[in-house]
Formats: sequence, structure tokens, C-alpha cells
Amino acid sequence: MGIVENYLNIGIKSIFVDNMIFAYFLGMCSYLAVSKKIGTAVGLGMAVTFVLLITVPLNWLAYNFIIKEGALSWLNTLGVSTNFADFSGVNLEVLKFIIFIAVVAAFVQLTEMVVEKLSPALYNALGIFLPLIAVNCSILGAALFLPGKEFAFGESVVYGLGSGIGWFLAVVALAAIREKLSYSNVPKGLRGLGITFITVGLMAFAFLSFIGFKLPFGE
Amino acid sequence: MKFLRNTLDKIKPNFEKDGKLHFLHSTFDALETFMFVPNHTTKGGAHIRDGIDLKRTMFTVIIALVPALLFGMWNVGELHFTAQNIDSFIIDNLIYGAMKVVPIIVVSYLVGLGIEFAFCQVNGHPVNEGFLVSGMLIPLIVPADIPLWMVAVATAFAVIIGKEVFGGTGMNILNPALTARVFLYIAYPVEMAGDIWVSGIKDGLVDASSGATYLGDLGVGKAVTVDTYNAFMGFMPGSIGETSTLMCLIGAAILIVSGIGSWRIMLATVIGALGMGLILNAIGGNPYYDLPAYQHLIIGGFAFGAVFMATDPVSAAHTQRGKWIYGILIGVLTVLIRVFNPAYPEGIMFAILFMNVMAPLVDNYVVKANIKRRLNRVKA
Repeated sequence: MGIVENYLNIGIKSIFVDNMIFAYFLGMCSYLAVSKKIGTAVGLGMAVTFVLLITVPLNWLAYNFIIKEGALSWLNTLGVSTNFADFSGVNLEVLKFIIFIAVVAAFVQLTEMVVEKLSPALYNALGIFLPLIAVNCSILGAALFLPGKEFAFGESVVYGLGSGIGWFLAVVALAAIREKLSYSNVPKGLRGLGITFITVGLMAFAFLSFIGFKLPFGE
Repeated sequence: MKFLRNTLDKIKPNFEKDGKLHFLHSTFDALETFMFVPNHTTKGGAHIRDGIDLKRTMFTVIIALVPALLFGMWNVGELHFTAQNIDSFIIDNLIYGAMKVVPIIVVSYLVGLGIEFAFCQVNGHPVNEGFLVSGMLIPLIVPADIPLWMVAVATAFAVIIGKEVFGGTGMNILNPALTARVFLYIAYPVEMAGDIWVSGIKDGLVDASSGATYLGDLGVGKAVTVDTYNAFMGFMPGSIGETSTLMCLIGAAILIVSGIGSWRIMLATVIGALGMGLILNAIGGNPYYDLPAYQHLIIGGFAFGAVFMATDPVSAAHTQRGKWIYGILIGVLTVLIRVFNPAYPEGIMFAILFMNVMAPLVDNYVVKANIKRRLNRVKA
């Protein structure tokens, strides 16, 4: 399998098959809360995509050069004598969560400042949800899926971007449906979040179509 | 006729306001308007006047479905008898087919309309005819041997979760008939996939290998020569109503001439599938890539989906340009899912559902683009 096919495969898989919303139900809080208007949904979707695109590779670096068992052995090759400290046996997996969250939080803080400076309108529209991206489950989730997937660096970039686009598509599609639904006569008890949950469930049906998708180009 | 009218007039006061059966008034209204043309007239304001109403729209679609239905019944019988090497005539085939198909239709209508009436009764809405078409579509897209309770469960799911919770007819986001089918497909895969397409296999009357479809064979990588004539006419196994492209074309003609189905969506879907098929032909390599593009249109449920499902006016895109985008993407996705997804041999069902989900978004951007264009014109 060529490199382009491989990237394409990972991209399509992370957008549709392993969709953060419809396959893993990650990042639901902001997904449900910020999908009332298409405009804000697009904004949040782009913010999540951007953060995923950057933090997943960052976390990949953190995992492969700090956390993984023996990942720190580059310190030895840099000149730290093995007599002083043998890093090839160090395993920091216990710190996985803390390190991933720290990376994500730091980066989101940075994004927040940039957005505030560049687009105050978007900043106001996103309100509390921009800082909340720091604890958006889909972003930590994508980082935590990394160890299991054994990607190379390039693949992790594609994976981060794909996961973000998948989340973006899901939130924008839901926002469009909810704008349409605001004219429907939904039974009283289901108005608001109730009907939104049902809608998301039905949307997951549609996304099922991609489970099992394979791209055997030039087989 | 007169007797009916008189009876209705006699019991009518019971259902009017202050009558003792007033709580059943929507059921009564439904029955009355079902049998007689309603005599309400538009009050106040200017309105577009036209003879067409929801009931007539729905009935036109049902008439368009009749060729596919009759052919489907015949085909169920024909396949059943041929697989057993029994000579059969048209009548035998039709009778056997009717014995299989009519119960499914009855169950689907009973369950669906029952739920619909109950909801309207509770909400105090007038009953409308939204389910008439879905109730006919559901039987046509299931295999002939499906257990009736499954039809009932799927119909109930589609009507309640797919439609009524959104506020009833005209408000659903997914096509109800397809919701029922995808529900069956996910919940009862054994009954809905594999070589089950000839009636009698389950009872051991017929050898299972006779139930293989082109799509099923292609899905597992077998090289397949599609018999174009048979596939076009519909002489092949499949869901009850989906096999015959010819009958779907007749239905399409009825829908287009009466102005009820959108020719844009149908044409766009065909263009999308042909285009994607040609691209794959150009790449070539395995049997599925090399399947001639036009044959994608005649095998499986493509024609049926493109004509009767994709054009559902509620769940499709509403804007003209949106319809083109919507249709083309359905065609492209259908071929993509068929070829690249071994888990699902047929793609049209999921392609339409996916685009149902995306349709509001497509519409939104088409409308926005229109507004922008006109604003520019004003400014210039």
C-alpha cells in the first residue's frame, strides 16, 4: 500500500468510520450545547478541528519521546551516561493522562488568546465553550487512542485532522437539522435536548454506512 | 355511496364540538375525508388554489408503485418455483407472491396507521395521509420471507422514532421507510443479508445458492457477468419490489409527468452513480472496479431507491440546486459503499440516509449563496 493510500485510508476512517461523535460518543457536551445555530457550530467545529490537528501530533511526540516505555532513551544517546541513569527502562505510562491534558490545556489557552485577538465576534459567540475545548472529551480521546494505534508521526497528523473534520461535519449537520427542527411540532416532553438525542441517534444510523470501509487502491 | 354519505352525516354530530365522541374527531375526519372529497373552502386571504392535496400526492405515488408491486409479486413466485424446477404460469406465480407479499403489506399498514391514528388522537391533530406511501414502501424493500413480527417492529420504530417524535408527517429528517429497513438490517442481520432472497430457502424447500444476488457475489470478490436484459427486466433475486428497473422507470414516468417526484433528484442520482462508476472503470483492477458503470444502475435496489426513496419531498433537499448536489452525492456514495465496503453489499439505502442527514446543511448553504448573489446584484 502506497503512502498516499495509507493517509487517505486513515483520513476517511477517522472522519467517517471512527467518527468521534457517532462511533465513540466523545465530546457530546459541547456537541449538544453549541449546535443550535449553524454559525456558532461552524466556529466551534473549526476550533475543535484546529486543536485536534495540532494537539494530536504534539501528544504523539509527548508519547513517543517521553511517556512510552524506553521513550526517554534519547537522553542517553544525547550524552547522559547510562551509569548515571539508564533511561531505557523508564516507563511513564502512569503520567499519560496528566501529560496529555497539560499539552491540550496549554495549547487551548494559546488558541483562546489568538481567537480573542483576531476574531472577537467568534470569541463572544463561542463564549464558555472555547476554554471548555480543553476538556472536550474528543480531544483527550483522540490522544488516548494514539498508543493503541501505533501511528507514525505523519499518520498522527492525518488522524488528528480527520477526527476534527468528522467532529466538524457532525456538529454542522446537527445544527442544520436543529435549525429546521425549530419549526417542528415536537411533543412537549421531548423538546430541547430530548429530540436532539433522538436526532443524533438517527444520524448515527446514516454514519453506519462507512463501517468496514476499505480502500484497496490498485489491488 | 349515498348510504355511506347518509350514515356519515348521521353520526357526524357526535364528533363535533360538544358531541359525546368529540375526542375521536380526528379519526372521524380521517375516515370522512378518505371516502369523500372534503367540502372545506379556504377562508380569508389570498391563497394558491390547486386541486392537489396531500392525499392526492400520496395516491399518485402509490399508483406509481403498483407496477413494481405487481412485478415483485410475480417475481417472488417465479423465483420460488424456478428454484424448485417446477413449471409455473403467471397466475401461479402471482398467487404465490400475493400469499407472501399481501400479509406484509397488511401488517405494515395496520401497525403504521394504528400508531399514526393513536398519536393524532392524543395530540388532537387531524390525521393525515403521510403513512400511505411509507406503508407501501416498507413491504417492497424487504425480502419476501421476512417474519411478519419483524415488519411490525420495524414499522413501529420508523413511525414513532423516525417520524412522530419530530411532529409527524412532513417533519421527519430521515425517510421513514428507509429508517425501517436500516433498523431491520442492523437489528436482524441474519434475516436481511446473505443468500436469503428467494422465497422458500428458510423452509429448506429451495437450495440457498439460488438466492445469491449480483451484489452479494461482487461483495465477496467474485467475478460476475451481469445479464443486462434480465437485470433490467428484474428477473433476479432481491427485495420484493426492487429488482425490476423497467417497473421503476414506469413509476418514475408517472411521478415526473404528474410533477410529484423531482426529476432533478432522479437524474442527478443517475449521473452521480454513472460518473463514479466510470472513474472506477478507468482505475480498474478487480471485478468490482471493472463492473461496467451502467450496470450499477440496474442491479440491486438502485433504480428503486433513486425513484421512490431519494425523491421523498420531506427528507430530500428543498432547493433546486440543493437537489442536484443531493442527488449526485447519493449516486456517488452508493457506488462507493458498494465497491469499498465489503460489510454492506448494497449502498443505496445508506447513501440516501446519509444525504437525508446532510440535506438541511446543503439547503442552508444554497440559500446563503443565493442571498449573497442577490445582494451583490443589488449593490452593483
